[in-house]
Amino acid sequence: MRSIRHFFEQSWLLIVASFFFGLLIAVTNAALSPRIEQNRNSKLNELAGGLLPDATAFTPVAETIEIQALDGKQQKLAVYRATTGSQTVGWVFQVVGSGFADKIELVVAVDAAFTSLAGFDVLASNETPGFGDQIKYGYYRDQFKGAPTDGLTLVKSGDPATIDAQIVAITGATVSSTAVVRAMDHYLPQVKTQLQQKGLIGHGN
Amino acid sequence: MATDSDGQTCVYKNTLLAGLWRENPVLRLLLGMCPTLAVTAAVKPAFTMGMCVVFVLVCSNVMVSLMRDKLKPHLRILMFTLTIATFVTIADLLLKAFQPDMSAALGPYVPLIIVNCIIIARAEACASKNPILLSIVDALSMGAGFTVALCVLAGIREVLGTGKFFEIQVMPKAFVPWAALSMPVGAFLALGFLLGLVTLITKKRS
Repeated sequence: MRSIRHFFEQSWLLIVASFFFGLLIAVTNAALSPRIEQNRNSKLNELAGGLLPDATAFTPVAETIEIQALDGKQQKLAVYRATTGSQTVGWVFQVVGSGFADKIELVVAVDAAFTSLAGFDVLASNETPGFGDQIKYGYYRDQFKGAPTDGLTLVKSGDPATIDAQIVAITGATVSSTAVVRAMDHYLPQVKTQLQQKGLIGHGN
Repeated sequence: MATDSDGQTCVYKNTLLAGLWRENPVLRLLLGMCPTLAVTAAVKPAFTMGMCVVFVLVCSNVMVSLMRDKLKPHLRILMFTLTIATFVTIADLLLKAFQPDMSAALGPYVPLIIVNCIIIARAEACASKNPILLSIVDALSMGAGFTVALCVLAGIREVLGTGKFFEIQVMPKAFVPWAALSMPVGAFLALGFLLGLVTLITKKRS
């Protein structure tokens, strides 16, 4: 009994402060999360527009696309149909990789038939400035423009100008380079299968 | 004859001016070097970082000062860290909501304010021993000193490194930007020169 009393005498302020600060963060998060989400959606649309410049509109697909995330959990994925008039010019969705410091969130665009990548851009990342954050730069991202949607592999050396399934890693940022390729390889086949099952793209693709 | 009120005013005035020059956290105490070197390639992110630090400093000093009589000596660092981490998380959320571009530009350096020595040093040296008003004045003084130092350093780097100030072209077109100043090496060089200048001024004054 004395030890319990001693414990509370010593730590009551810590316990109370933990609850109070936890509540403060929860309230702030609840108040600001709609606005943060709105900012993210605006950025996603902006990035998607850059990846598929021919598209005039990005409409969320009405069908539920459910895939398995990298951590093994089932998640609903928002897939956007990129259109010019009534013609579909591509598909856009978000993938999440496991980077060096934190999650890497990417916006990925593929062509209308889901056979080749139109490219990717970084929505959010906390990779090390000067090293891992080089995944944002053109000399890495350009390798994905026109690359096949199946079986991307990371290689340590090669010609980044050659567009194929081999992606040349960034020197000094192997973890971040791997994270991007791994995320693509994990998400792309699943999204493709789901879109085929829902009849949104042909099975022959 | 000096009254208590005069003495108090003098204490507040000294505290307010300390952070700007005599005890400037960056230029005199060499604290908070990580953001000083990392986010000073341009004035805009440097100013945003400064404002975040001011917010966290004021809020954490207020909280620490409020609970100073209840703090157990062996738990005080834990309490300081808990308090600082809370307000850094709130600052990060506010930045993501209202300044998303700056939030993306500053990246991990906003969450890293948690381990900024300036904030924990002020909690320990001032807020845990002084009443709330003096703690706020101390936080504003140190925060302003930090922000000014960051902006001066960023101003030098941005003007010489890109020819711009606050993203506005200020140098003539004939000026060739010193690209090295925008790179990490430029941060060390510019900070070294600034510290040398501050030391020179201090020696001349004394």
